[in-house]
Formats: sequence, structure tokens, C-alpha cells
Amino acid sequence: MSPFYRIVVLTLISISIGALAAFAAIGFVDAAAWVNDRLLVAPRARVLYQDRPLLVAAATILVPPLGGLFVGLALWRLSARKRPLGPADAIVSVQTRTPLPSFRDGLVSTGAAIVSLGCGASVGQYGPMVYLGAMFGELAGRLKLGIAHLQGVCIGCGVAAAISTAFNAPIAGLVFAHEVILRHYSLRAFAPTTVASATGYVVANVFFQREPLFVVTFGGVEHSFEFLLFALEGVLCAFVAIGFMRLVLYCGRLAQATRLPQAVRPMLAGLAVGLVALELPEVMGIGAEALRFATIEGAFSPVELAVLVVAKIALTALCIGFGFSGGVFSPALLIGILFGALFGTLLSLVVPLASSGLVVYAICGMMALASPVIGAPLTTIVIVFELTRNYALTVAAMVSVVFANLVAFRLFGRSLFDAQILARGYDLALGRDGAMLAHARLADHMVVDFPVCRAEATMGTVRRNMRERDWESTFVTDEAGRYVGTLATRDVLESDPGRSAGEAAVRCPVVFDETTSIREAMDSLKNFVGDAAPLVASSDGRLLGVVPEAVVIGAYLDISNELRREENESA
Amino acid sequence: MNRLERFAMVLCLVSPLAAQAEEREALTVVSWGGAYEESQRIAYFDPFERAVGARIAVERYNGGLNGLRAELADGETDWDVIDLLSTDARTGCREGLLAPFDPAILAPAPDGTPAERDFIDGALLSCAVVQLVFSTVIAYDERAYPGEKPQSVADFFDVERFPGKRALKKAPEAMLEWALLSYGVPRSQIYDLLSTQRGMDLAFRRLDAIRDHIVWWEDAATPAALLTSGEVAMASGYNGRFFDARISGNAPISIIWDGQLLDYNAWAIPSGADQPDLAKEFIRFATRPDRMAAQARHIPYGPSRRSARRRIGFHPETLTPMREQLPTAEHRMGTAIWQDSEWYARTARLRRRLFKAWLEDDSTSAAQR
Repeated sequence: MSPFYRIVVLTLISISIGALAAFAAIGFVDAAAWVNDRLLVAPRARVLYQDRPLLVAAATILVPPLGGLFVGLALWRLSARKRPLGPADAIVSVQTRTPLPSFRDGLVSTGAAIVSLGCGASVGQYGPMVYLGAMFGELAGRLKLGIAHLQGVCIGCGVAAAISTAFNAPIAGLVFAHEVILRHYSLRAFAPTTVASATGYVVANVFFQREPLFVVTFGGVEHSFEFLLFALEGVLCAFVAIGFMRLVLYCGRLAQATRLPQAVRPMLAGLAVGLVALELPEVMGIGAEALRFATIEGAFSPVELAVLVVAKIALTALCIGFGFSGGVFSPALLIGILFGALFGTLLSLVVPLASSGLVVYAICGMMALASPVIGAPLTTIVIVFELTRNYALTVAAMVSVVFANLVAFRLFGRSLFDAQILARGYDLALGRDGAMLAHARLADHMVVDFPVCRAEATMGTVRRNMRERDWESTFVTDEAGRYVGTLATRDVLESDPGRSAGEAAVRCPVVFDETTSIREAMDSLKNFVGDAAPLVASSDGRLLGVVPEAVVIGAYLDISNELRREENESA
Repeated sequence: MNRLERFAMVLCLVSPLAAQAEEREALTVVSWGGAYEESQRIAYFDPFERAVGARIAVERYNGGLNGLRAELADGETDWDVIDLLSTDARTGCREGLLAPFDPAILAPAPDGTPAERDFIDGALLSCAVVQLVFSTVIAYDERAYPGEKPQSVADFFDVERFPGKRALKKAPEAMLEWALLSYGVPRSQIYDLLSTQRGMDLAFRRLDAIRDHIVWWEDAATPAALLTSGEVAMASGYNGRFFDARISGNAPISIIWDGQLLDYNAWAIPSGADQPDLAKEFIRFATRPDRMAAQARHIPYGPSRRSARRRIGFHPETLTPMREQLPTAEHRMGTAIWQDSEWYARTARLRRRLFKAWLEDDSTSAAQR
């Protein structure tokens, strides 16, 4: 394939994916906002009915659980996966080069996310948008265009465009796709994701004239010692983030353990949201208003901030764990900014030092808490920069983000996504090849043409047979084809010709079955005896094939080389 | 077209009657008085009287719907045309105080563009037609600040840097938006935040800070007068009045365009009007592009028709280019807020209640002081 062909095709594809993902992202946000307005979740809609407080209270209590019931039923009846899909699924797909769940499942999950957000569940909008972008990428990745590793690049494009559009931040979209989804920086992937990200930005700005998502004014950090405080704030945020992530995972396990039907679980979480929202309306939905209030000095008292942080953490964990469809990033942003505001407020009460005001501590908290959750320090730093266009603020947030990530990485791991992925059996902490080897089946590489004899055959017969083959060993099975043992050449030559093969055979210490992964095979290489290890059916012990050492090593090298090629490709 | 034809027939019938105008009852137009009414007299009332022969009687009011409600208490009124805020037009329509408006009575632009396309988007309401864009702004007395001049909404609330009395309309309008704006809230989020209890609390807390410095006004002509006489140092008010006070009255008044609140005025016909046909004829006349442009030459309120905006010339006495003086001029839109009339209409009672409570609740601020 000529480079020229590749460049033209990749450019066209990335523009198409970028535009589709951007329109989808905008449609998604607008749809959720529309439902918010109709169902009296948005404050602006609620205030229009302030003459009828009973109606508003009824909507507050009823809308989230009914939305939950809808989401639960939709996922249970319409989706093959029976659960919401999110960035974790896109990551697994790209990292292990497996297809995404079906497009239909993706649509169901997206629809469920619109209802979840629309009904005020305490979940985020960016996770579903990332997945939406990935879905369109996956569609394009299936095209037969003769370009290697197209799927990963295309999913990266979709995700980059979705983030670029959602935050009105093209650089953040590009960085996010690399840092979280692709996890490598080949030029082959970099160029198209950049184009897709820019396309998303153009759509958001030229076609729709979206306003910047978060405008704050900040004059600059006034005292150098405050950078120490930013670092301290980052460390504290890491602990809150770890608590948040643990609680999300715990709620997921709790939901499994309750033995409630899957379809009604989100309803319970919705009920909790509705009841809490009667007192604390801020916990519903994205909480754009609370996000703004947190940057205003005196809008919340310290007690209110603390209560909101706790409530938002608990309800978000409940909503995600109990099966609402939605992300964790926007709740993390809100928890972070409230916690940051609390930190800033208490600081001014406790420490008799001048500070640069509440805004910078609020923003630092927001980013420092959100970045370990999605495992993307670089992305969050870029997001601050692109959203606020404020250099001083970005540098301050950078310090908090870095310390938060350091602590959270040590104590928890890379991100909530990686923890969710680990729970599904993929350990990305082993590196990408590790995860792929752990899921590549050895059975696909086994040899089926090998010397075999029955247990009752005499050694004389075996000796004659072995002369005709190059193999150093013969595999012995019983009348049902079950593996009995292995005969090495030396055993055959040295033993009595009248002795039966079954008596002389030695069971190989390494026996694989059809579920064995290449990674497990690699780990047991040192126990290999003879030229090949048997691979038997796990159900009845029938010998299916054998696996020579060279096959294991060859499979390992194939995967490693392929990944290295992908990650070092040029345009 | 059918309606238009019918309307044209009515016009034909009316014209010969012009001679007998003396016997006809006057058309009652309800408007806002002062320099604004004067500009309407020049651009609309006098030419209409000359062209149609009907006499126009002007009644004065200060906005709101209470006057109309009182008029309509017995089901009919001699008010024929009202010049009202678009918010009041929406509420009045919902309450059945206004007659449904038929856009077919509007004249096309001189180049033939149909009225629907010539008017700005959203100008045709169900019971009214938006005729102009005006702005509620903060202005200050130059003499009060010989040194540093106030430039932003935040300065209005800063009585330490910019001491002096503040004149505010005694109604929960504009001040709420400005209060939030002074906290650094971006324009796009103002009404979302004001929809929450917390947002309202913040806004009134900001007003607490200037409570002792406020002089209340109710009549639209008052703020310019208060500034001119030096009674207050800053005042909220309508941009056209301040312009007129400076241009015609030679008063040293400057406008702070930061956070200007744009809103619409509309023509509507009360549901019990006794001369609905003549009222329609008046609205058709007063929304003709040349008439609208004539008004904008006297007072800087932006016409709601594109063809009218293109016809605005100089102020007749001072030769000020009036298009640049409009609140909607390009260089003034950077920090402008479009008043959300739907929000205003639906939160009227809430705002009034909170405002009343705040006015009465002097104790909290006294304790804070």
C-alpha cells in the first residue's frame, strides 16, 4: 500500500468519524438537557413551577427511580451485555484488539445514559460520550481498506472527537485518546486522532457556536508558598478519589450480592437520589450550577460543602454500582470542586496566611480529584488550560494533579477503568502484551498431527512407529482417547519390547486444556519435558493436540512484534 | 393573502372616512412617557393622525400588567394599543388580557421581503409584535467620579471604591442579574443560577452590601433626573433616557455598558379594546420600516426590523450617527445579556415575594453591619 493512499484514506476516515462523533456528542448532551427540562430536573425548569411545590417535590422523588426502572429494563431486555458500556469497554477493545460489544448494545447503553442523566441520576455524561465516539470509530474500523491496525486508530479518532466536542477542548481530546484509550504514541495513530479532534472542535464552534464550558477569572497565584498547599491539596484529593473509586467498586459488588433482579437495581439507587435531593437538590444530575457556586466565595458554608461531598460520593457510587448508565468523570469533577472549595475555605479559617482566593483551590481540587479516577493526568491538565485559557491556573492545577496521581497510582492503581477492567479479567498493569497474551488461547496454536499410540500397544510397535516420524516422543491415550502419558525415545529404546505403552508412559507435569492462555503456557515453560506438552479437553480429558515449546514462544513473539509494529508506525 | 386582502379593503373603506375624523373616537395608546413618548409622537403618533385622520390619546403607565388588569375588570377598556415589555406580553397573553395577534396585518419591507422574514427572529409573539430592543444599563454622574471611572457591574456594588448613592428600580429586575454578574458568573449561566435558592440568596446578599445607599425609582424618567440633579452617583435605567438626558439635556451622564440587559418592547391590543380595527391599523403603520427608523433617529432603541435598521440616520439635532448608539451595536454586544422573558414571566411571583421579604428584612443586614 503506498503511503499516499494511506494518508488520504486515513484523513478522510478521521474527518468522517470526527464529524459523526461530534454531532452525536452534541445530540447526546442536548437530548439529556431536554429530558432534564421536561422532567423538572434542571433548576431552570423547577423554578418555573415554584408555585406548585408539591409537583416539584413529587417530580424530585419519582423521576429518578422511574428513570432507573426504565434504564434497568432497557438494559436487561434489549442489551446482550445487560450492562451499560463505557470507556473501560473501549479500552479493552483497543488494548487487546478485540471487537467492541455490538452496535445495538452500544445504542441501548447510550439511550439508557440519556435517560439516566435526563432523570437526574448522579452519573456523568462524558463516559457515555466517549463510548459513543468509540462506537462510530468501530464502525469505520470494520471497513476493509487494507490498512493495518485500523480499528484502534478509528476508535481513538471517535473518542478524541467526542471529548474535543464535549469540552470544547481539541487538545484535551487528542491527549485523552492517547493517554487513556490507545496508550501509545505512534504517528500512524497520532495524525488521524488530531484530525478527528480538530473536526470535533470545528463542529462545536462553527456549526453550533458552543460557549466555553467553564469560564473563571483568576488573576494569578500571589504567594509562592501556595504551591505547597496545592501539592497538599492534591494528596488529600487522592485519598478522597481512592475512597470514591473503592466505593464505586464496592457498590457494584454489593449490587451483585443483593440477588435483586437486575432490572430493578437502578430504581433503588434512583430512589436514594430522589430522597436526598429533596434536601440537597445539587446532587441531581451533572450539577452545573453547584460547580459554578463552588467557585464563589460564601456560596456554600463549610458544613454544606462537606455534606455535599459525602452525599455526592455515596450517591454516585450507588448509581454506578446499581446499574445506571453513565460516567464517573463529571461527578468526580463536582466532588473535586466542592472538596477544593472546602479546602480553600477551611484554609482561610485555619491558617492565618494570605491566599489567592477560593477559585484556584476549587479548580485544583476539581482536577486533582478527577484525574486519578480516569487515570489521565496529562488530559486533565490540558483540560484546565483549554477551558479556562488561564496559564497561572493551569500551573497551579498541574501541581495538585501530579501529586494526586502519584499517591493514587501507588495506593489504588492507574484508574477506576483499569480496576473495572481487572475485575473482568484483563490486567492492563502487566502491560498491553501481558493482557493480550493472557487472553490469547493456546489451543489456536496447538499441533494436531503428532505421534500417538494406545495404552495397550507394545513397546515394539511403538518403536517401529517412531522410526517413521521425526518426533522425540509419542503420546499415549486410552480407548476413549484420554491422555495417559508421554513416551520419550529413550524410554522406548530402553524398555522391554513386550511391555505395554500404558505402563511405560510418564505423565507430563504440564498439561494444558482449551482454556489455557499463552501467558499461562509461558509461565510453565520451565516445567516442559520432551518436545511438546499435551493439550486435553477440560471436560473429559481427551487429548486434543500437543503444544511444542517453539509454538508457545512463536505465539508470544508474534503478539509482541505485532504490538511493537503498531506502536511505532509512521503515517 | 386572504386576510391581507380583507385588510386592504378595510383600509380603502377607512381612507374616505378620514374627513370625518373629528367625529371619531380617539385611539388610546398606552406608553411610557418622557423622551421615549416624545420620540413616538414624532415618528408614529403625529404622522398617523395626519395620514389617517384619527386622533391619538396617549395614556401613561410604568409597565406591568396591573393597570391593564384593572382596566379590564369590567371586561372592556378604552385602551386600544399598549406598548409593553415582551415578558408582560407573554404573561398577558397567557392570562387572556391581550387579543391574539395576526402577523398578516404587518406591512412587507420596501424591497418586498415579507414581514415574517424582515422582523428579527422571535419577534412575532402570539399576542404581540416585538417592535424594538432596549437596554437596561447602569449610568453614572461624571461629576461624582472625577478620577477613576466605574467600568463594570462589580463597580456598581463597590461603594468603597466608588462612593455615592445608587438609584435602582423598585422591582426585582436587572439588579438580580447584576448581583450575580458581580460574583464573576458568566452571562450564559445567570438565569440557571438565579433559578436556585442559593443563587437568589447570593444575589440578595450582594444587594445587602449597598442597601443603605439605594434610592428607589419607579418612573422611567426618574433615574436620569436623579443623576442630573446630583442626588445619586449611579443609577440603573433605560439607555434611551440616559442618552436623551445627555444629548438634549446636556447632563454629564455616562453609561456603563458592561452587563447591559437587552429586552424587547412590543405592541399589543387588549382583548376588550373598543377600536380593534383602528388599533391594527396603527400597529401596521408604526411597524413600517421608515417609521421605525424615524423613531431610532430620536432615541437609541433598536428597531426589530432589519430593513428599518438599515435606514437609521443621524440624530436630527446633534447629528450623532444613531446606529452606533444602539445597544445592539456590534461593539456593545460583548458583555450584553438578553433578558430571559420566559424566565421573567414565570418567576414574577417568586421574585416579587423574595424582593418584598428582602425589603422588609432589614434586621439581618443591620446585624451584619
